Amino acid sequence: MKTIKNYLVAVSTFAALLVIGNLSAYAQAPSNSQIVGIVQAANQIDINISTLALTKTKNPKVKEFANEMISDHTNLEKSVADLAKKLGVTAEPSDTSKQLKQQAADEMKKLRSLRGSAFDKEYAAHEIAFHQAVIDAATKMLIPDAKNAELKSALEEAAPLLQGHLQHAQQLQQSLQSGS
Amino acid sequence: MPRHSTRRVLQTFASTVSMVAILPVSVGAQSVQPDKGAQHVVIIKQMHFDPSQLTIQSGGTVEWKNEDIFSHTVTADDGSFDSGLIAPGGSWQMTVKRAGKIGYHCRPHPNMTATLIGQAAAGQQPVPSNAATLKWSPPTSPEEFHPILVNFTAALFPLALLSDIVGRIFRRQSLHNTAWWMVLYAAVITPFTAAAGWWWKLSAGSDLPAKLITVHQWLGTSASVLFIVLAAWRWRIHKRGTSPSLAYLTCALIAVLALIYQGSLGGKMLFEK
Repeated sequence: MKTIKNYLVAVSTFAALLVIGNLSAYAQAPSNSQIVGIVQAANQIDINISTLALTKTKNPKVKEFANEMISDHTNLEKSVADLAKKLGVTAEPSDTSKQLKQQAADEMKKLRSLRGSAFDKEYAAHEIAFHQAVIDAATKMLIPDAKNAELKSALEEAAPLLQGHLQHAQQLQQSLQSGS
Repeated sequence: MPRHSTRRVLQTFASTVSMVAILPVSVGAQSVQPDKGAQHVVIIKQMHFDPSQLTIQSGGTVEWKNEDIFSHTVTADDGSFDSGLIAPGGSWQMTVKRAGKIGYHCRPHPNMTATLIGQAAAGQQPVPSNAATLKWSPPTSPEEFHPILVNFTAALFPLALLSDIVGRIFRRQSLHNTAWWMVLYAAVITPFTAAAGWWWKLSAGSDLPAKLITVHQWLGTSASVLFIVLAAWRWRIHKRGTSPSLAYLTCALIAVLALIYQGSLGGKMLFEK
């Protein structure tokens, strides 16, 4: 029953994030400053949620995963900040970044109320949905809309990292479900 | 039994243990030294291993250099090696000890995969065993100390149990006295064995099978504590001058079985890698 619940939560989170991505396709294409703002928001969301995971989980595999997310997204955030500085771009908020932050705040609230394996499973489900949504947003919106070649290239290089995180989160979810 | 007879029995045991322990270890320590081959480098950059397939002669060394901005691992698909996290700018080396194809990946990023193909060196002849066995040099590394010390532990404790069992059957106090001294020696020497094992583990890093080494290191550490407890128990029995109780003998038997299992794990790590 819990597995179905986690699955539904993951699917609904994923669907919500997808809607954000698709809605923004109808809106005006984001500027380079807004793209940087979206990437920074996505990085910060995963760092915050994974930092919460470190304080709540007792599962070593979840701890290891959360540490990796914090480390990778911190490094990614730094490289984005360095690139933005080099290009003279200042991060700007957009509807997409605001919606991402709102979704993340709701998810944080939910995660704070959970404990033990329920927390671990929800965290893994969120990480899958989140990374899938960010990959979709990057490939369908951010990369095509990036007007600067260096920014476009940096986003393209980040895609395999996000894909790796997605696969690792899927492995984590499988191990949590099998109880190993 | 008079005191000098006890001493003679102990001397016989000690000589036997020394002969059994030291000779085969010298053979093992000399013959497992790999032939140093050419060094190969795999660059980790932009979420890729480059080259993604590397063929190397067994005995050769591969170095993975992390030139990415993220930490990565070099982890065998079959769990036979794991570098642990290699920080950006860091590197990790491994000597390929066997022929065959093995896939590896990065643990935090499972989409990063590559293959290592170990080939038997062309014209490579096995090291003549007679040349290696006759040459002796003092041990200097944990790979030499640990197997030497472990032979004393492995011999002393089971023989102490055997001596107690035989002494109980034939009601010979001299055999119980011998057993007490052997338990004492095992309790003294085993912490050194465990320390040498930890030294080996820490110096080898992740170049050891992760699951096996975890069980082996903690079982060994527990055994060294357990032997001290059993020695204290055996000393109380020795002071009373009686035969050890069935409870003590059962505990000692469990310790011996754990020791046999521990030995099998050590063997697997050394010879099946």
